[in-house]
Amino acid sequence: MVAPDPAPIRPSAPFSGNRRDVLAGAALFALAIGLPTLAAHRIALPADETPTPTEEAVLRRVCDIVVPATDTPGALAVGVPAFVALALAHGLEGSRAPMADAPAGAPLRADGSLRHLTWLVQALMQAGGGAFLTLPPARQVALVTALDAAAFPPGPPPANPSPWVTLKALILDGYYGSEVGASQELQYNLVPGRWDPDIPLEPGARAYSSDWTAVDFG
Amino acid sequence: MSEEFDAIVVGSGITGGLAAKELTEAGLRVLMIERGREIRHGEYDREMKAPWELPFRGHGDAARYAQDYPVQMLNRHFNEWSEDHFVNDREQPYATAPGSDFTWFRSYQLGGRSLTWGRQCYRWSDYDFGANKRDGHGTDWPIRYADLAHWYDKVEQFVGVSGSAEGLPALPDGQFLPPFGLNAVEQSVREKVMERWPNRRLTIGRTANLTQAKPEQGRGPCQARNICIRGCSYGAYFSTQSATLPAAMATGRLTVINDAQVETLDFDPATRRITGVRWIETGSGQRKRASSRLVFLNAGAFNSVHLLLNSASEAMPHGLANSSGVLGTHIMDHANTLSAAAIMPGFEGRTSYGNRPTGVVIPRFRNLDTIDGDGFTRGYSFQGGALQGTWTRGKHAPGVGAEAKHALREVGPWRMVLVAFAESVPRASNRLTLSNQRDPRGVRQLQIEFAHGAEERAALADAKREAAAMLEAAGGKVLFGGDQPGPGGTAIHEMGGARMGHDPRTSVLDKWSRAHDVANLFVTDGAQMSSSACQNPSLTYMALTARAVDHAVGLMKTGAI
Repeated sequence: MVAPDPAPIRPSAPFSGNRRDVLAGAALFALAIGLPTLAAHRIALPADETPTPTEEAVLRRVCDIVVPATDTPGALAVGVPAFVALALAHGLEGSRAPMADAPAGAPLRADGSLRHLTWLVQALMQAGGGAFLTLPPARQVALVTALDAAAFPPGPPPANPSPWVTLKALILDGYYGSEVGASQELQYNLVPGRWDPDIPLEPGARAYSSDWTAVDFG
Repeated sequence: MSEEFDAIVVGSGITGGLAAKELTEAGLRVLMIERGREIRHGEYDREMKAPWELPFRGHGDAARYAQDYPVQMLNRHFNEWSEDHFVNDREQPYATAPGSDFTWFRSYQLGGRSLTWGRQCYRWSDYDFGANKRDGHGTDWPIRYADLAHWYDKVEQFVGVSGSAEGLPALPDGQFLPPFGLNAVEQSVREKVMERWPNRRLTIGRTANLTQAKPEQGRGPCQARNICIRGCSYGAYFSTQSATLPAAMATGRLTVINDAQVETLDFDPATRRITGVRWIETGSGQRKRASSRLVFLNAGAFNSVHLLLNSASEAMPHGLANSSGVLGTHIMDHANTLSAAAIMPGFEGRTSYGNRPTGVVIPRFRNLDTIDGDGFTRGYSFQGGALQGTWTRGKHAPGVGAEAKHALREVGPWRMVLVAFAESVPRASNRLTLSNQRDPRGVRQLQIEFAHGAEERAALADAKREAAAMLEAAGGKVLFGGDQPGPGGTAIHEMGGARMGHDPRTSVLDKWSRAHDVANLFVTDGAQMSSSACQNPSLTYMALTARAVDHAVGLMKTGAI
């Protein structure tokens, strides 16, 4: 257990990214509970951590593929792309740790950490034969599915995990940490009020996002 | 000059709060000095926040953590809700000796680590108090279980400890509130382990969470949230804020000073007494002093030793109360590792409701009446539990899209983990000294020199084998297990450094937790420990504190202090 080297925090620049992701999901909810705005919104991204238009478009598409809208809203509706960009800038899920055995040409920051969104665009474009956003939706799904499958091979986890593992973790953090993901897709109960040690598990019962031990230990 | 207070208590955590309560209830006027900020009961800022109300959805700003909390962030319970309950490592630096890796988890605030503790409450037995004498490590405890049993009773009744009486010689029963129940998997493991190993008993963790309200203290029952680390406005777990501070304040005899880092104690060699306590106001940098007839050190084990080392004088050049030369030595923690994690099939139709604020424990079964440890003479015990996973398992498995989303909606499979806590052997080479580096207030930093030894590693190797054997005997499929301890400090049971003993030439404190060298100085936090046992130690610190206060008050009444 060694703490990662402190990541330099650059002077902040005004948020210049696309705010639609945040606003789409957050505005209704913020109105509903009287929050001035989504809390994540208060943190500005440094200029050089703001995704390029291409990175942002790819991230939006990928988030939508990973957690689509079903009978509950999906990742786009709850601002997951903006959360992922914020999380990458601030090193959540170890994303600002220097990359071990970085392959030649890997898009690294000065601190040796990987620029995950740049990597994501490169990986998907390469897999897509030079294109991703212009491909048919089903083809995009197939490419992301393949990227995901390759990152989780059968057997023990690889010594040098794919950067996709971090990105996927952040997408899930963003979704299941949102009001919709935590309390509509799953159940959220801050005050259970009692402990029932052994009860039947009803078919179709939804898991609790507020089972903190389960969250910790997966 | 007459003293301003009858007693000064340094520190406001688990033992400081209890010392203040016991002293004020005995009629003494008490000053309690806390180095950190005030936190008022009920004013726990993020206690009720949902993840989506926090900027980083509960995970916190990892970049800021790497700068300000590089050690504290390694604590599993350190997160965006709890970060304010831990020290800023940059503002509160400590040194480690070359080759030593020690993660020192600290909470400098009113209530100290009583706000952040794991709440597990276990009595020690005579296997523990007799351990040093039996194998020759360390120095013999000058007390045995019979000296402490009454004080355990008293403390447990006030604290409120839920648990199940099991009649185990290695883990004496106490005054328990009704236990939290075992879930289906744990109940099965308990039965199957008992069938095969009659001397091994899985039981519910004994925890300072109320299963029945204590209206006389204004404390409500546990709401099964398991977010204790945020602070509990129900007062359902024992903390300074919920329990001891209100009791002490109710006497009208307690004065509390916050944001005051105690720097030195004044010693008068003629009377062999502490004549003053000096501190730095951390806000203004001003230095202040107060005097009292009696001083209790409850700054936390290492900080109490730090204060004694930093109070060296012409009369005591190697540190206050250190005529023996052992001050700072024989520090301990517990060697701590995840011994086994297993999938537990066969319980798919069962679940639980609520978040239980405790796990299970399998008390020590090695080296009791016969030495049966392979390469170790002390004990270890397991803590852990069975749980069903939730959405976070999606981080470790393939799957995207609607199907994966629906799969993560389901309650995950049952797993069980067993974490070993192995007794730390007291060694002179594990020690605290003063560094030449200074903290931002100009005080010399504490330097920690610490390494686990062969005995602890042998115990963890045995624990790995036995954890796997027990879970497999109960039908589990072991996924992985470890036998290497985390760095010192991992268990957050750091203790020792001002050990208790019979002989003033080889120990710092007498059997009443009083300094052999200083008539009016008591040290009743973890610093006094002569051995570490393998149980969570706080309850024993509390019992020793209550006992020491009783003795000190008696000495005052006879005029001896």
